[in-house]
Amino acid sequence: MKIFITDGLPDTFFTAVFAAYGEKDCTVSSDTQLQLPLDGEIINVVYDKEKSRRVLQTINKYDGEAESDITLVLHSGDSRKEQICLEYIRILVNNKAPVKNMLNNAVILSFNDLIYKMTGEIHRLKGLLRFTESAEKILYAPYSPDNDITEYLMRHFAARLKSEKFVIHDIKRGTAGVYDGEHWILGKANAAQISISESQGFYEKLWKTYYESTNVKERPHDKQMKRSMPVRYWKFLPEKK
Amino acid sequence: MTFEEKLEILTESAKYDVSCSSSGSRRKNMSGGIGNAAPTGICHSFTPDGRCISLLKILMSNECVYNCEYCPSRNSADSRRARLTPDEICSLVIGFYKRNYIEGLFLSSAVFGTPDKTMELLYETVFKLRKVYRFNGYIHLKGIPNADPQTVMKAAALVDRMSYNLELPSEKSLKLLAPQKTRQSLLLPMLNLKSALDDEKQNGNRRKIIPAGQTTQLIIGASPENDGQILKLTESLYRKINLRRVYYSSYIPVVQSDKLPTVGAGLLREHRLYQADWLIRFYGFDAGEICGEGENLSKEYDPKCAWALRNMHLFPVEINKAPLEALLRVPGIGAKSAYKIIEARRYAALDFDCLVRMRVVLKRARHFITCKGKFYGSDSTAQIKNSLLIAGRSEADEQLCMFSEPAAAMSAVTGEL
Repeated sequence: MKIFITDGLPDTFFTAVFAAYGEKDCTVSSDTQLQLPLDGEIINVVYDKEKSRRVLQTINKYDGEAESDITLVLHSGDSRKEQICLEYIRILVNNKAPVKNMLNNAVILSFNDLIYKMTGEIHRLKGLLRFTESAEKILYAPYSPDNDITEYLMRHFAARLKSEKFVIHDIKRGTAGVYDGEHWILGKANAAQISISESQGFYEKLWKTYYESTNVKERPHDKQMKRSMPVRYWKFLPEKK
Repeated sequence: MTFEEKLEILTESAKYDVSCSSSGSRRKNMSGGIGNAAPTGICHSFTPDGRCISLLKILMSNECVYNCEYCPSRNSADSRRARLTPDEICSLVIGFYKRNYIEGLFLSSAVFGTPDKTMELLYETVFKLRKVYRFNGYIHLKGIPNADPQTVMKAAALVDRMSYNLELPSEKSLKLLAPQKTRQSLLLPMLNLKSALDDEKQNGNRRKIIPAGQTTQLIIGASPENDGQILKLTESLYRKINLRRVYYSSYIPVVQSDKLPTVGAGLLREHRLYQADWLIRFYGFDAGEICGEGENLSKEYDPKCAWALRNMHLFPVEINKAPLEALLRVPGIGAKSAYKIIEARRYAALDFDCLVRMRVVLKRARHFITCKGKFYGSDSTAQIKNSLLIAGRSEADEQLCMFSEPAAAMSAVTGEL
């Protein structure tokens, strides 16, 4: 049994698909914790531009949205993501037309589940991310999401906070997106030290006051609050500190 | 009084307005500006009552010349009063927005001085926010009854949504409880906005005024109207004035008055009304089908179940053949599931297990469908009634304590409240 190990980047995955597609019984993974079977033959995949291009060309021929769907799933925090994507591509190529709605197929269902989790967390964090203003007027937002979604949040906030400078820091993965007022980039980032601006404390206090005053005490519903805003996100929310 | 105290008072006074939605607008940012709108709406936090915070919802002032019986800000009430200036509101919005606390502003006000003066100051605030502070996030503005229509129209051109609260479901109750407001003073501005929107559409202009439309709110249980009457009103608000949402607020006795009931209306009634409201908007039901005139909605069954039980001759429907409209009328099958079924059956005929795998909820639906001709429900109507009661009960326990919405779990994610 062949085991294709990738570095987790979508491009490398597509290179792996080029080799793995014809292998009946194989695994593709970027999981460093992967349990290897005894008879496993490990292949470390190195990105190959031409191979990736050919795989993508085939995918795009059958479904114009598949590339962005697969790329989205490859950002998931689920360790089975590469395997699911490989099988998804197999079904797509066999069917020669979009398969997204083939909902009686178990692979398609798992694939759609991962899409749902990704878009769900992206949407949630568009709301729950919190910026702190530094003394240099740079907005800084640390967070630790389940999935690797910084790229998607950068797009959202670059349009929204066009004239600001900001940093979104994924503490769990040690990566950050930086926007300088014109362009944004992704990179590695370790612990950050920031000195907060004068007005930061003022607004944080007002926000807490607002949060407490807008609550209707006569109708408590803790469960609903926690369902919509899971506790694991609370440590970055000033109103919950 | 400190700024913080003012904010506290004006938030407390605004919180009984149910709406906090930030959906329905695609406003873009501009160069040198801050903010844009997300068509789905975005929730930024959730309070311990389970409601979402999407917008900064405050009054400009709670000093009021009116004396509406049910209102904590009414003239004769002995409460702390405060007012914010347009600039104070604007810088607060920007300060919060930059930190991603909020999606925008929901500005309302008690009527201080005259309706014209109040509306004028509300307009000044949104004008400054858009033009001076260059804010392009979401703004929901409450209209002031009896204010100059021209000021209202100027404000409508700047904001994403406007709303006038009808508050009471009939003219008679309005007269009793809010004597200084008339049905006309609330409906007329709504109709004005509607015809301005129609004009825009006819001229093929892209939507400039209130792209997210209008909404309203009704207090339930402060006056004697029944559900049939309320739903008829709701239906005509949707179909004749094209409202985007009607909100229902179950009456809580926060104010002592001999004209008001001493007990609240209860959350189940509010919940059932929202369920019926959904059926009217998204499932192609008429108000008359759901609840007859002079009647109230069933406590035991949700409105769709109750309707299906009255119309057993239409069921079961075959899941692989039924058109969308018929699937939407099956109890337990929501809009999402109906679309999923329509898509999935293109590839292969669906059996019961397929539906389970697709996570279509079948607890209620199984009594009303066949899969490849096979029926999985109970035989007699009595048995069906019984198992629907049990299915409904576990759900009611869950939902009764919920703040207001049947689809809150989903809309909490989409911010569509």
